[in-house]
Amino acid sequence: MTETERIEAAAERIAALGASAPVSGRDPVNQAMVNNWTEALGDDNPVYTDHDFAESSVHGGLVAPPAMAQVWTMRGLHGTRADDDPLGAMMAVLDEEGFTSVVATNSTQTYHRYLRPGEHVAASTRLEDVTGPKRTALGEGWFVTTRTTWSAGAEVVAEMTFRVLKFRPSARAAAPEGARIIDAPEYADGVLRPVISRDTEFFWQGTKVGELRIQRWGETLRHPPGPVDPGGDLDAKPDYVVARGTGKVYSYVVHHHPKVPGKRLPFVVALVELDEGVRVLGELIDADPADVHIGLPVQAVFLRVDDELTLPAWEVAT
Amino acid sequence: MTNVEIGTTLPPMMIHATPTFVISTALATRDFQDVHHDRDAAVARGSKDIFLNILTDNGLVQRFVTDWAGPEALVRSIDISLGVPCYANDTLTFTGTVVDRVTVDGEQRYVIEVTGKGSLGDHVRGTVHIARPEVTL
Amino acid sequence: MNLSGAAAIAGIGATEFSKDSGRSELRLASEAVHAALTDAGLAPSDVDGLVTFTMDGNAEIAVARELGIGDLRFFSRVHYGGGAAAATVQQAAMAVATGTADVVVAYRAFNERSGQRFGQVSSAAAQQVNTSGVDNSFTYPMGIATPAATVAMLARRYLHDYGASSEDFGRIAVIDRKHAATNPNAWFHGKPITLDDHQASRWIAEPLRLLDCCQESDGGVALVIVSADRARELPHPPAVVRAAAQGSGPDQYVMTSYYRHDLAALPEMNVVGRQLWQQAGIAPSDVDVAVLYDHFTPYVLLQLEELGFCRRGEAKDFIADGRLELDGSLPLNPHGGQLGEAYIHGMNGIAEAVRQLRGTAANQIPDAHTVLVTAGTGVPTSGLILTSS
Repeated sequence: MTETERIEAAAERIAALGASAPVSGRDPVNQAMVNNWTEALGDDNPVYTDHDFAESSVHGGLVAPPAMAQVWTMRGLHGTRADDDPLGAMMAVLDEEGFTSVVATNSTQTYHRYLRPGEHVAASTRLEDVTGPKRTALGEGWFVTTRTTWSAGAEVVAEMTFRVLKFRPSARAAAPEGARIIDAPEYADGVLRPVISRDTEFFWQGTKVGELRIQRWGETLRHPPGPVDPGGDLDAKPDYVVARGTGKVYSYVVHHHPKVPGKRLPFVVALVELDEGVRVLGELIDADPADVHIGLPVQAVFLRVDDELTLPAWEVAT
Repeated sequence: MTNVEIGTTLPPMMIHATPTFVISTALATRDFQDVHHDRDAAVARGSKDIFLNILTDNGLVQRFVTDWAGPEALVRSIDISLGVPCYANDTLTFTGTVVDRVTVDGEQRYVIEVTGKGSLGDHVRGTVHIARPEVTL
Repeated sequence: MNLSGAAAIAGIGATEFSKDSGRSELRLASEAVHAALTDAGLAPSDVDGLVTFTMDGNAEIAVARELGIGDLRFFSRVHYGGGAAAATVQQAAMAVATGTADVVVAYRAFNERSGQRFGQVSSAAAQQVNTSGVDNSFTYPMGIATPAATVAMLARRYLHDYGASSEDFGRIAVIDRKHAATNPNAWFHGKPITLDDHQASRWIAEPLRLLDCCQESDGGVALVIVSADRARELPHPPAVVRAAAQGSGPDQYVMTSYYRHDLAALPEMNVVGRQLWQQAGIAPSDVDVAVLYDHFTPYVLLQLEELGFCRRGEAKDFIADGRLELDGSLPLNPHGGQLGEAYIHGMNGIAEAVRQLRGTAANQIPDAHTVLVTAGTGVPTSGLILTSS
């Protein structure tokens, strides 16, 4: 089975188990946690904290912020997942396949009524959907959607559809350690120099310091870069991620003829699909053309031509 | 404010997401994931810095709407999706518009679209349904 | 308003095809245009429109000056290299259909072998200060710097995805050269090749061999476009423009659309094909002769797929059993194509289509009434369906 087939089969199996047994919150709904929450978020709505105001309000007494529904049943600092927790089971499957990082992307909460201090709530969750693999700004990943129901006794008080992205981390904020920058003066002789625009400048600034920078628009990675969000939002601004620099040959050319300025014949140029999911082109150096094949793992290396120009390139992964 | 026009815009809300804010809100929502309070851990996991957690986004969207609608507005649902991260020291600006009026279970509700934008772009977009009971004095 | 049937090609003209014309590109253009007008039974003074490629080195006004063409009411150029070929006829057809002009000549002339060779690395293309230069900055400095290399990247993936082989590419070269061998105007007249010759030819950009790449040529071709009604009054049977279309696809680049989900495809030609079949009201099975742009053999296979002659990845099976031979069900490039006749950026293929409809081709296909012509591939492109009535 392929990785995708394994993940899809696991998702089907976990979804078929249905909802987990309800898990009670550590504490009942309580004023202390409400106070901490309103203080941290800066919410001064008096129905949560002002006894007198709340008494005379539509609620007839103090209530907890609806948006705290999920807070009451969070596992906490040392909490462990219940054995039948479907999200935990799905996370474990994806961890096993190398999708080790997680970020929440969507939350849809419906509140059937406000909770009051003293009430005990319990949460029950089932796996609703697993979709992937998707190329995202953070790396290749799977979207996992769960459905949670909160109950006070037998009464359902709130419901939530929650989606997380479970991904292979690809972003790196600091300069990659050990990125190889090779002084390649032989490339200085007549190498065709890039035309650099405001939209692509960051890429070429990156190669100089050994970073393979990939433009990011929200969740979407884009290479080659451009000035407009692929989603069409003209107000959006891009940033970039520094790619890990590892990927696989998606296609390649062994160039024999004619001579190309700055290159020694024959040479290999590879279109590489990065682990982050985008394709980047570069010369594959120090490779015997006979050993190159589609799927070959490679890593980024940087060919420093001079102070002005460093070219991105590949070498066979070690 | 018993009647609200469709198209009404909400007064903007600015949130300075200082490290203290990011961490205190994460803990107040009982979210102890290290990416919300440990900068080194966040960087090691591929982020630029610690960043705001989704439970806080949910709470901020709620606060933004009730700050405008008044303390007795009844929040019926909050639907949010996250865009770019909100890293520590960014500033979020929440804007919102009343886009619709619907009746659910005999109750009239307003539909408010909310966007929280940071320096990297849209951090959170959401839709909130609120009811406004007639207040009798 | 419908363009189908509104205009026709009434005249074709060309210089000899050579490796060293010994004269200027403007001279070649003037000769070709003059020859086309003579063929159409028209004079330079009848011309009121000129169309060429953005890449052509001969300004419309320069050609007009040389031939004594007076007032021009319409002049236009089409971008994207060889992708412009069929679109020059489309431009001309739209001009005559709308009354913008009455007699429009489309031309292309160059010393592409003795002058600036497209097969070499063009630093001018790499370093143009515009969006194309910025695009090229992600290929040229990395070493993808010639047309063959740009195609090889896609061809490698095609071989991988569909289990095709270098021999499958070679079969296209063999057919083109076979047809050129019996076309006296072809550079490779009398010089057919075998599949073994193809397999023995040296690598240019693996997986492309020398014989996968079209030749480089000096020469010029011109086409005279008038309304279909006027064409019927002129000496030759008209080649009616039954359909004419341009096409560009999502995430399109010039020769390097490497970032699409499916690399081994030519969606821009699919855009052209869909329009052609719809405008002409015919299906691929109605085509009597296919003149498919063949600067590199792999793209002929991909065109057969994108145009709907066969399904994705199945061209290698489709071309088996002699289907593309002169007596096959879909004769390919009876003039020998650009691999065999000459590389005049696709314009010589349009002239061949006209000859087939007139019944005057060197390798005439009997009862050729419907001819498909395509323009450059890997770039935003164009196509035509020409019919005899």
